[in-house]
Amino acid sequence: MKQHPEVNEVQEFLEIASDFEDPLEIIRESLSNAYDAGATEVVITIRDSAAGSDIIIEDDGHGMSRDDLKSFFDLGNSRKTDSIGHKGHGTKIFYKSDRIVVDTAHNGSNFHAVMDRPWEKLNEKTLPEYEVSETDTRPGNTGTRIQISGFRSGEGFDPQSLTYDKIHHYLKWKTIAGSTAHFFDDSQREMEVVVDLDDEIDDTRDQLTTTNQLTFPREQLQPSTGEFPATRMCKHYPPRKIEFEHDEGSSTVEIVGMIGGKDARNELPTYGRHSVQFGVWLAKDHIKVEQINEVLTHDNEFIHFFFIANCQNLELAANRGKVRNKASSLYKTLKQELKHYMTKIAEDPWFKEDYLETRKRAQLRRRAQSQTTSLEERLESIDTNGQFKPTNRSEVLLALERSNNEADNSITVKEYKADHEVPAILLDDDTLRTSHVYVELTEHFEDDYPLGSADTILCWSYGDIDILREYERNGYHGGDVEIDLQDNQIIYHHEDRHTVDIITVSDRLAALEHQPLTSLD
Amino acid sequence: MPQLKQTEQTASFQVTATAGDARAGTLTINGQSLDTPTFFPVLSFYGGGTKSSVFGGGVHRTIKEFMLGKEEIGGGTYDKYFRGTMTSVASLTDYGINQERFNDYTSDRIKDRETFSDYNGLIFVDSGGYKFLHNNGLDGSDFEIEIDQREAFRIQKQLGGDIIVNLDRPIAPNDTFDERQQKAERTAENAVEFARLTQTYPGARYLTVHGYNYSMLDRFFDHIQSQFGNIDISTLFDGIALGSLVPKKDDKAALITAVMDCVEIMEERGLADLPLHVLGIGSGSIPLLVAAGADTFDSTTYIQNAINQKYAVSLTKHIPLDAVDFNQCDCAVCSDPKLVNWMQGNTEYQKDVLGPVAMHNLIIHRQEVRELRQRIKQHGTDPVIDYLDETVGRNDSIRKQTHRVVNEALGGYF
Repeated sequence: MKQHPEVNEVQEFLEIASDFEDPLEIIRESLSNAYDAGATEVVITIRDSAAGSDIIIEDDGHGMSRDDLKSFFDLGNSRKTDSIGHKGHGTKIFYKSDRIVVDTAHNGSNFHAVMDRPWEKLNEKTLPEYEVSETDTRPGNTGTRIQISGFRSGEGFDPQSLTYDKIHHYLKWKTIAGSTAHFFDDSQREMEVVVDLDDEIDDTRDQLTTTNQLTFPREQLQPSTGEFPATRMCKHYPPRKIEFEHDEGSSTVEIVGMIGGKDARNELPTYGRHSVQFGVWLAKDHIKVEQINEVLTHDNEFIHFFFIANCQNLELAANRGKVRNKASSLYKTLKQELKHYMTKIAEDPWFKEDYLETRKRAQLRRRAQSQTTSLEERLESIDTNGQFKPTNRSEVLLALERSNNEADNSITVKEYKADHEVPAILLDDDTLRTSHVYVELTEHFEDDYPLGSADTILCWSYGDIDILREYERNGYHGGDVEIDLQDNQIIYHHEDRHTVDIITVSDRLAALEHQPLTSLD
Repeated sequence: MPQLKQTEQTASFQVTATAGDARAGTLTINGQSLDTPTFFPVLSFYGGGTKSSVFGGGVHRTIKEFMLGKEEIGGGTYDKYFRGTMTSVASLTDYGINQERFNDYTSDRIKDRETFSDYNGLIFVDSGGYKFLHNNGLDGSDFEIEIDQREAFRIQKQLGGDIIVNLDRPIAPNDTFDERQQKAERTAENAVEFARLTQTYPGARYLTVHGYNYSMLDRFFDHIQSQFGNIDISTLFDGIALGSLVPKKDDKAALITAVMDCVEIMEERGLADLPLHVLGIGSGSIPLLVAAGADTFDSTTYIQNAINQKYAVSLTKHIPLDAVDFNQCDCAVCSDPKLVNWMQGNTEYQKDVLGPVAMHNLIIHRQEVRELRQRIKQHGTDPVIDYLDETVGRNDSIRKQTHRVVNEALGGYF
């Protein structure tokens, strides 16, 4: 005798309603339903009352038929095939309330459905029922109004803690209101989304109005002025469709995004912690699901990037928080494709040379500035001790002392702190000079130190002068550098002009039948 | 500096299409033409043996049998893969030969020898400078020959090189500035002597240049120019050969910089119409360096990989010989049951196992380079960018450098 396994319906409803941890998902489900119903406007109203909260969702779509209404209340009986809500779980979150009222006008019929005390009944282990009454209405009169009264927030849905900002960020991050579909599909219909909160919840504005389209902050390819010039820089990368083959067939990923500094990124909505929300996101239905930052190479901080990669073949967990088919060949190939594409972005000259370089130079400038003060302090507390360990740079200093016997003027070392960027303080004709010390002048450039944080560079020799010429040719830290061997000076132009004197110890020991170089050519 | 006569043109280079900095063209020498970009497979015409073994050389011997369509490999026409070959003065004594055999090897031009009389490709004969750097000569089993510019040229001429280069002093990555200058000085002196010796030479004369970046190459050219005084060197040479890159062959970034900077200097110095050859670099670097502006290459990779039991599936991808499904390839070698049987190890000599693998590798490499050539001839830079993206760009280790070349030489992605 065959037997059917039985399903405990009540338990199933309870489980699913509890499965949705974030009650804001009510809003996500409703917006998707409204869009699917052809709405051009959705209004979401949230009121706070003693018994719980009331949520009202109204749209001007084509309404629900009797069958649609049935699947709205049924479990796992969605009329959709592959988009949000096809599992028929979503709207069951409405069951966590005291009363659900649905009014919907469709094809000349107006259905009025009421379900009383659903949550209480489920907890008493009985299935809640709903009653539908039908009246006639004008055929052109369409739309749906859903009212959830006494919504049991459980965790996280305390209307008091809701604000326009919070809702706005949620909309843009987790719902169709943050969709990137419009980048790929010109026929993507625009839908206005209006949120109206009780004044007691948030009275900072009357209501929030947005659309179902995610847009990026204004592009700004050039640096700004000031101490943080890269922070508002921003570049948009155009939408790309990439088709790829995998063991299960072929798929398409649609990717669009931007790179931007902190101020530009701050213009984007936030979800969770703003600082960790960047990088590359996988999306389905053009709604972000989860990050996949491992497709960025380790030498690129994900924080600069915000890219959304949509693939309709991703399978999602019931609450849409995760991709389920990660073991599939599809997912692995998709990851490869994204890796490949994101390297192109990361190697884009604008990102590498304009944005990152601007950022790095500003950082180095700020660091050099903060070191200037400590240099001044060191100049004040000079202590003449000449105990040097014969390491390479120290030997340069010893040679300098020795060169005083040969050269016209005497230069003595007053202080040497090996671990400082500007390690030496020299006394040259009663003048104290702050000085870098190198065996070869080229080291200064190779170590990427700024020019202008010290008066002098003390070196044994210039080193490979072709390397110096490359810096003269390509510029340094965003400025022009000129190495004048005739006058032993480096002239550096960047916004203003710095000169740094070069002391070449081997030239001071010129007795060693050594012709000082006078030019790089 | 005595006057140098400009000789009648035996060599010409016509650029027929460009895509960004990449160019396609035709190199014509003594009436024989090669389409560029192309690469010259390195081959030891003389590998220690005698006429009866096509002058020997292990795998090189089998390759020569392919080149000549010999019965030993079952005939067939493979000559189209050998329209240009590269050999070196320095390789003559690789197999420890005696004086008598050396004299025999250099007694006749390669193509005048009965064994090679059917061969009509262009032979590029390198001067072997990299080998003579630490050892000034050719060491046989019972003789030594000191090699200077005059002697190097004498041997190149004896072999009948269609393209020859001056004797150079390649640089090394850890050379100091002073060492580089001394080498440049020596190379420049040789270049002048080479120009003088080859005034009536019936072949193409290439000038070798050495440096890893613009400044080094610029200074190198200064050394050369100061030796030639006010003579326009573009009238004395038919091509430029960029050397010293073999120690950096795995550092794609360094290779790209060297080629891009060399192209820039050639433009500045009025040498842009000459073909640019990159000595000793091949396989996976070719697409990147072609995009950067190089025209021709030479490489032993096809043989080296075969010796290491590696079978090419593309310019950048090789698989272990014992994992190959020969049905997946429709090249002439893999379509021949006898040769497949050999490659599966069923033959007496290792050279016959690896020879066909090397031949297959060569065919695959040449097909890819031909594809690249076709793409340059198409409209705009997209076909070349797509090619790079589908091939080298799919390789994790060189993906970044691919993007760099696309950005710097082909106009970028965005």
